[in-house]
Amino acid sequence: MFSFRGCGRWVAASLTKQHHPSSRFSGDSAAPWTPHFDVVVIGGGHAGTEAAAAAARCGSRTLLLTHRVDTIGQMSCNPSFGGIGKGHLMREVDALDGLCSRICDQSGVHYKVLNRRKGPAVWGLRAQIDRKLYKQNMQKEILNTPLLTVQEGAVEDLILAEPEPEHTGKYRVSGVVLVNGSTVYAESVVLTTGTFLRGMIVIGLEMHPAGRLGDQPSIGLAQTLEKLGFVVGRLKTGTPPRIAKESINFSILNKQTPDNPSIPFSFINETVWIKPEDQLPCYLTHTNPQVDEIVLENLHLNCHIKETTKGPRYCPSIESKVLRFPNRLHQVWLEPEGMDSDLIYPQGLSVTLPAELQEKMITCIRGLEKAKMIQPGYGVQYDYLDPRQITPSLETHLVQRLFFAGQINGTTGYEEAAAQGVIAGINASLRVRHKPPFVISRTEGYIGVLIDDLTTLGTNEPYRMFTSRAEFRLSLRPDNADSRLTFRGYKEAGCVSQQRYERATWMKSSLEEGISVLKSIEFPSSKWKNLIPEASISIGKSLPLSHI
Amino acid sequence: MWRGLWTLVARAARGPRSPRPCTRQGSGAPAPGSGATVFALSSGQGRCGIAVIRTSGPASGQALRSLTAPRDLPPARKACLRLLSDPRSGEPLDRALVLWFPGPQSFTGEDCAEFHVHGGPAVVSGVLQALGSVPGLRPAEAGEFTRRAFAHGKLSLTEVEGLADLIHAETEAQRRQALRQLDGELSHLCRGWAETLTKALAHVEAYIDFGEDDNLEEGILDRADSEVRELEVALGAHLRDARRGQRLRSGAHVVVAGPPNAGKSSLVNLLSRKPVSIVSPEPGTTRDVLETPVDLAGFPALLSDTAGLREGVGPVEQEGVRRAQKRLEQADLILAVLDASDLASPSSCNFLDTAVIPAGAGSPNGRSQRLLLVLNKSDLLPAGGPDPSADLPPYLLLSCLTGEGLDGLLEALRKELAALCGDPSTGPPLLTRARHQHHLQGCLDALGHYKQAKDLALAAEALRVARGHLTRITGGGGTEEILDIIFQDFCVGK
Repeated sequence: MFSFRGCGRWVAASLTKQHHPSSRFSGDSAAPWTPHFDVVVIGGGHAGTEAAAAAARCGSRTLLLTHRVDTIGQMSCNPSFGGIGKGHLMREVDALDGLCSRICDQSGVHYKVLNRRKGPAVWGLRAQIDRKLYKQNMQKEILNTPLLTVQEGAVEDLILAEPEPEHTGKYRVSGVVLVNGSTVYAESVVLTTGTFLRGMIVIGLEMHPAGRLGDQPSIGLAQTLEKLGFVVGRLKTGTPPRIAKESINFSILNKQTPDNPSIPFSFINETVWIKPEDQLPCYLTHTNPQVDEIVLENLHLNCHIKETTKGPRYCPSIESKVLRFPNRLHQVWLEPEGMDSDLIYPQGLSVTLPAELQEKMITCIRGLEKAKMIQPGYGVQYDYLDPRQITPSLETHLVQRLFFAGQINGTTGYEEAAAQGVIAGINASLRVRHKPPFVISRTEGYIGVLIDDLTTLGTNEPYRMFTSRAEFRLSLRPDNADSRLTFRGYKEAGCVSQQRYERATWMKSSLEEGISVLKSIEFPSSKWKNLIPEASISIGKSLPLSHI
Repeated sequence: MWRGLWTLVARAARGPRSPRPCTRQGSGAPAPGSGATVFALSSGQGRCGIAVIRTSGPASGQALRSLTAPRDLPPARKACLRLLSDPRSGEPLDRALVLWFPGPQSFTGEDCAEFHVHGGPAVVSGVLQALGSVPGLRPAEAGEFTRRAFAHGKLSLTEVEGLADLIHAETEAQRRQALRQLDGELSHLCRGWAETLTKALAHVEAYIDFGEDDNLEEGILDRADSEVRELEVALGAHLRDARRGQRLRSGAHVVVAGPPNAGKSSLVNLLSRKPVSIVSPEPGTTRDVLETPVDLAGFPALLSDTAGLREGVGPVEQEGVRRAQKRLEQADLILAVLDASDLASPSSCNFLDTAVIPAGAGSPNGRSQRLLLVLNKSDLLPAGGPDPSADLPPYLLLSCLTGEGLDGLLEALRKELAALCGDPSTGPPLLTRARHQHHLQGCLDALGHYKQAKDLALAAEALRVARGHLTRITGGGGTEEILDIIFQDFCVGK
C-alpha cells in the first residue's frame, strides 16, 4: 500500500486514505505515494505516548514514530510514578483521559500516598512500578488505540511549507523526513525526543553520544532545529547504579510497607490490580563519611560534576550532595524494580564516578556491604529548547503546527512529560480541525502552572513540579482534578471518553447533593458545640449555623 | 555484566561534532518590553533660564546623534556643549549642554540622553519637535520615566513613592522624609521583613514538598514558628507608630478652638501669615470651619479655624459649633485659645472644663490628643500676669496683636508636631501612606491565621497571604524565591 524503503516497520496500520501533498519544500523524495497523517508524534517516551494517544482520542489519524517499538513505555530512570506535586499532575492527566495513571494502577508493586498528615491539598499519590509490567501494559494500550499507527524509524528532518498568514510564525511544518530518506506528511507534528537531542552519556571521564543508555541520539534533527533559529540550551541529569537484589542484607534496614488499602491513581478505578499484602516493601539506608571520602578524593575523575551545564537542584547526584552539604548522612531508598526483577534501584545515589569507584562506594553503605553492582550510574547531558519559544498550547512561535512536549522543553520527570504530552496531543489535533487551542490556566491545574512557568519564565535547570509552585494550591487538589478538567476536556477538546464523562458527572452531582444536604442541617451554635466539642465555632454569629 | 552495555553505548553514533556556543541565557523573565523611546520636558513649564529635556529608550543614542550631527556621541556621563539643530532642516535650534547615559547606568536603566537647553518656550518646543521627528521616538506619558525605572528594577515601589513625595515636598520635614524613602529605607525595612517571612514560608513549603521523602533537619517547623512570632512583634511595634508618616506626608490636623472672641482667627492668620479668617471684635464672627495648609516650624499642618464654642445662639452659629466640636474630635493637635483677660467668664470656664481638662487627662476613647493651651491678648494683662486663682494647666502667653510670645508658641508647636509626625531624620522609617499601613495590618492578620491553622497546607496559605501583603509594598514575591531558599538550605531530592 505504501512504498516504504528500508527500515520502516508498520506495527498497526489503520490508515484508510491518503492525500497527495501539494507543497513540498525540502527533503522531498520522489516517491509518488507518501503517507499522510493528521498528527505525527516523534518519540515514544512518556510525552510521546500521551501525545499520540490524546491526538487519536480527539479523532485525529495519528502516527507515532519511535526508534524502537519495544522501548515504548520504558521507564528510563526511577521505578516509580507520582509523589508530591507529581501525583497532582497524574490525576490531571487522568482527568483528561490520559494513560499513565491507568497503566500505573495495573503495574504498581508498592502504592503509598505521601503527606497524609498534612492536609488533602498536598497529598502525594505515589507508587513503585514494575518496569516490565508498565512497558507491557503501555504497549498494549498504544498498539490498540483506534486511529493510532506506530512505526519504527528515526526522524532526520522536518518538511516545511509557507506559513498560514492568519497565524504568527515563519514556517509551517508539513511532514517529516526519516533517516532512510522516506517522508511522511502531516498536518501537525509533535516533537517529544527527550534527551535524544545530542544526548551524551557520561561515566567518569568517558563520554559517549546517546539518548538513554543503549539508544542512539538524534543529531540531524538537532541541527535542523538550530538552523531554523530555535534557541538551544544544555542540561544534565543522572541516574544511580542498579544493584543485585539478592546481594543486599535487608534484615538490618528500615522497612517501609505500602498503604492498606491502596489508593488508585485513576478516577475510573476503584482499586489497583494487586492486593496490599502481595505488594513489595521498600528499605531505607543512609550514606556515611566513607562515601563522602570516596567522592571527594576522586573529583578529578568526574567530568560530569566539573562541567558548568546545569543539573537539577532537586534530583542532585551524590557528588553534589556531598559537596554542598558536607558531613551529613543522606538517605538512600532501596526500591524494587518489579515483581520478578532481581534489581534494586538505590534512590538518592545518582552518581557519575568511574564504575569501579561506584562499586567501592556502594559497599561502604550499611546493608550493601556485599552488594553487587549490575549496572553503573551515569550522567546524561542533552539539548533542550528554551520553552519561551512555545505558546501555552505548546505550539512553537517559529514554526506553525510544530509542537514540543516533555524533556525537550527542559522538564524532568515522567509525570511532567506526560502532562505536556496530553496537552500537545490535544492541541495538535485541535489545530488540524481549526479549533481554538485548549489551554489550562494556573488557576485550573498544575498542568497550567507547569506550562505557564515554562513558557513565560523559561528554565535553566531541569524543571520539576512542586506544590509550592502552585499559587492556588488549596483548590488544586488531587481529589478534584476531575471536576476541574474532565468537563472541559470532554466539551472543548473531545479527548475524554463518554464513560469517563458520565462518571465525572455522577461524582459531581453526588458531591453537590451531599453538600446541599449538609447545608440544610442548621442548629444553634450551642448545639453544634455539644455535638462536636473539638470544632472551634465563633460565638459572635447569632444566626443558626449550617454544617458547612 | 554491566560492562557489556558499554558496547551498546559505543556503537551509538560517534560522528565529529563541532563545538557549539550555547545561545541560551540565564532564566528569569525577559527584560520588560522597552520598545519605544520616549522624550519629554523634565523641568517645569514656562519661561526659565534652563530647561531639561530627557529621552529614554534604545533610540536615545540615535536621537542625540541626529540633533548634534555631525558630531558623534559625547563620552558617557560627561557634560558637553553642542550645537543642536533640526535633523530635517538642519536649522540650528540652540547651543546646549548634552549628556549621554548609556544603560543600564541611567535613571531608567535604559539608554538616556539629556538636553539642557535655554528655557525659552520657542527653544523648548523646537527641540521637542525635532525629537518627535526622529524615527522611533514618541512623547512620554505622565510618569513614564519613573515607570521605566521601576520596570527595570532601578527603583522599588516605595522608592517610587518617595520620589513622587520628594517632587511634591513643600516643607523641610517632608523633604527629609521623602529623601529617606527614595533612598530605600522603608523599602529596606519591608524587604527585611519579607525576607524573614519568605524564609519561614520556604521552610514550611520544604516540609510539605520534601518532608516525607528526604531527611530535612529536625525542628524546621518550630524554627518557622518562632520566626513568625518575632515578625509579629516587629510588625505590631511598627504599626503602633500609627499615622506619623502619613501625617508628615499629608499634614497633621491642628485645630484652633476656644470660646467666642478669644482670638482664634487672629491666631490662625498669624500662623499662616495671611488673612485666612475675617477678624472682628464681635463674638461669633467665624461660623464655619476654615482650613488652611501651613508650614509650622518645618512640619506640614492643616490648620482649622473653628466657631467659638458657646450655647444658646442662632441655628447657623449652632451648626458651626457642632462642626467645630466634630473637628475637635478628629484633631491631631488642639490649640486651645482663651482670652487671658477674661478667664473668669462662664464661657472660658466652661471651655476649660469641657475641652481642655479632659484632653489633658487623656480622652475617653483612648486616643491620645495633644493640646496646647494659649492665653491670648497678653497685652491686656497687668504686669503680674493672668489671674493666679484660675487654677490653669500649663499654658503659653501670646499676644496676636503685638506678636509677643509667638516664638515660644512656635517652639512648643515644633515639639508637638515632631512627636506627632516623627522626626524624619532619625528613628525607623515611617509608613508614609495608608497603603503601607493597610498591607502591614493585612500581613499581621494573616500571621494570626497561621498560628490557628491545624492543616499545614492552610497554615502555609496564611503565610503566603502575609507575604503577598508585604510584597505589595516591596515588589517581588515569586515562587522561585521560595524554591531558591529551599534548595539552598536543605539537601532535598532523590
